[in-house]
Amino acid sequence: MTTVQTKAGTEFLSYALSVGMSADSGRGCYYPTDTLIGKNGRLYVINRSLEGLDKGVRVTMCDIDSEYYGTFGSYGRGDGQFVWLTSGAMDSQGRIFITDEYLHRISAFDSDGNFLFTWGKHGSDEGQLDGPSGIACDDSDNIYIADTHNNRVQKFTSSGIFLSAIGSAGDGKGQLSLPWGVTVSPGGDVYVADWGNDRIQRFKPDGEFVESYGEPGNGNGQFTRPSSVAVDEEGYVYVADWGNERVQVLDPDGGFVQMLRGEATLSKWAANFLAVNNEEGDARSRANLEPQIEFFDPDDPHEVSSKIEKYFWSPMSVKLDAQGRLYVTEGNRHRIQIYQRTPL
Amino acid sequence: MVVESKRDLEFIAHLMRRAGFGATRAEIEEFGERGYDATVENLLNPTDVRWMGDYMVRRFHHEQSGMMSIQAPGTNWLYRMVTTTDPLLEKMCLFWHGIFATGVPKVAHGKVLWNQIRMFRRHGMSKFNDLLVELSKDPAMIVWLDNYDNHKGAINENYGRELLELFSMGVGNYTEDDVKEASRAFTGWTIGNTEYMVLRSERDSDWPYGRISWYSDYRTEDHDDDEKTFLGQTGNFNGEDIVDIICQQESTARFISRHMYHFFVADEPPVPAWPYTPPRDPAAIDALVQTYFDSGYDIKAMLDTLFHSEFFKDSGVRYEKVKSPAELVAGVLRLTGEFDRPRREILDRGSQLTWMGQFLNNPPSVEGWHQGIEWIDTGTLVERINFASEQFGNLDSPGVKSMIGNILADERKSPGGLVDACLDEMGVLSVSSETRDALEKFAQQSGGSPELTDSERISMMLRLAATTHDFQRA
Repeated sequence: MTTVQTKAGTEFLSYALSVGMSADSGRGCYYPTDTLIGKNGRLYVINRSLEGLDKGVRVTMCDIDSEYYGTFGSYGRGDGQFVWLTSGAMDSQGRIFITDEYLHRISAFDSDGNFLFTWGKHGSDEGQLDGPSGIACDDSDNIYIADTHNNRVQKFTSSGIFLSAIGSAGDGKGQLSLPWGVTVSPGGDVYVADWGNDRIQRFKPDGEFVESYGEPGNGNGQFTRPSSVAVDEEGYVYVADWGNERVQVLDPDGGFVQMLRGEATLSKWAANFLAVNNEEGDARSRANLEPQIEFFDPDDPHEVSSKIEKYFWSPMSVKLDAQGRLYVTEGNRHRIQIYQRTPL
Repeated sequence: MVVESKRDLEFIAHLMRRAGFGATRAEIEEFGERGYDATVENLLNPTDVRWMGDYMVRRFHHEQSGMMSIQAPGTNWLYRMVTTTDPLLEKMCLFWHGIFATGVPKVAHGKVLWNQIRMFRRHGMSKFNDLLVELSKDPAMIVWLDNYDNHKGAINENYGRELLELFSMGVGNYTEDDVKEASRAFTGWTIGNTEYMVLRSERDSDWPYGRISWYSDYRTEDHDDDEKTFLGQTGNFNGEDIVDIICQQESTARFISRHMYHFFVADEPPVPAWPYTPPRDPAAIDALVQTYFDSGYDIKAMLDTLFHSEFFKDSGVRYEKVKSPAELVAGVLRLTGEFDRPRREILDRGSQLTWMGQFLNNPPSVEGWHQGIEWIDTGTLVERINFASEQFGNLDSPGVKSMIGNILADERKSPGGLVDACLDEMGVLSVSSETRDALEKFAQQSGGSPELTDSERISMMLRLAATTHDFQRA
């Protein structure tokens, strides 16, 4: 086990299951960057794909039981298409908004994946975007976007009208460096994965700085290039500590609660693949997938994760569902690991 | 040597083209302030090394993090070549990649191919015996040359043979028995989970959760620990002992020295011709061989000797080497400054290498690429010229903007002065009189059209200069 005990002596989160499998078309995921959880329980997995392999670009629709509902979107610059699709959010009407950090725009779809409209203009002026990555909706259907290369978060109406901006380039309080993930807490505060500054920052909806969590490093409560943040009803903060290839949980005051390194097991799709392709399945059953390895640099978690399959490898997104389960989307492992609160 | 003249700047420019990927005018002047010797020292022992960085690249290019495909490591490598402050290290990785050529189809796994290049980065400028031991443990090499199938009592000679023939001594310096005995010594040198990993590689399988990176594994029970006789020495040799004996041989010193001369100084014929074709400069090889033994097989010491030698500084070897596609593309992109941040366009620039004949991590055979004039044929020449010309035609590139700004500010306003200013901005480029005449004639014609703005006219000059025989060489 790689999890850390809570102060009370029980694990705060425990592993539940994995969903997904590597596939460059149809059922499966290919370099997923985010998983949007619909109000109907449907999962929308946003697949960046292998660069140069256009067909893998798509949104895969499935659910926690690995039921597959099809895909939408494709590679391209036309309506409903993507180049560097990155993150997604859903508003109260069930509309899906997806960022594209190459095309500098937001594309909207209905919950069945039908294209609705797009907005966004490349630039650095107010309301313009340069590499939009993280995205979140608040209760009023306003949209917050991590405007990465402009080092700010911008707030828009769902139709793309600029409302306000948070942050500026720098490493001071309230300043941002290439922000990635953004979320709106149940209480309405805006949390930003301040990627280049190795911290999470919290703002009031009007942009007033509230608090900063974490510092650079790989110890408890420290971060290396965090990619995503989620906040639950009780105020617990979940962070995809991307550069450290792990997930951390903080309490509402920012205190360290738990570290997850990854415990993936075979998803239904993966088990099905190995059963059908039994030569690979048999060879896998004889392999030791948790070997003792003399790593060139054991402190390089990226290297370790490349060799130990169950560990997180490029955890890009953390999302919570209505039951409080945590979904960790791993780009390099093409799957989602799901964790749940341990019953008291 | 403290640089005081244009001629001295040309020395520095020559050094940076060969030991790196060229340099901007400003960089060359900065190096010139320090002097030639200090510049060599900085190349060999750089401090405060910087490049775009793994985190930046992986954030935007997710495939360059997972590296399932074989394009990803080459593209990542190009980023390093273009943005690093330690260009000699990347040149040495290219050097070793050309000799220890490893790639698809046997290794259909970008991450392990990339890990081999990373190993070159760690050991490519250290002791040659250390490098050969690391090479023998390298998972990509173990699969590429079948050493996972080299067992006690049932040897596979593939790695043992190429270790001697292509990686260290060259044909004619060992016997068939030596090949067999070397192979016996490397039994048990394999990768972990051999069956599963090799099967997935053969099937190009990334299911179910992407590729799992390989690791080296030594199996004592599969190692032949009996007595062996290799190159006249007898003992219960393991792989490290074989490498030690190989490195003691003069043939090894000559083989590596000739490769180094071929890569950094002047083109030699392809390796298969070496047994019956003497080196272009035997005295140069002798000097490198001497350093090889004096330094205890130290690669960096050999480079130090080479860059300070008269045979390297000799004006007769300048512009005598055809730039490899990697050298050409990286050199152009360092000048244009296009990649001040990760951009998807790096994929296209990486593909250019392939179209010019150098698909990194996918060499044509275990012999690697034939260098020199063999880079050029009618197809690749068009690719090279079009690429270089197109890049200097992009007025939005920060490097091109800067070059044009400097040229506009230059006091040399005559057609000849404009040519000089352009050539200086392209890295203190020296050209033949024929090339210069052609460029000056073009300048007299207002860059092809009187309708052009000053910036466009200068851009046209840069584009034309990039297509010349002189720019395409180092």
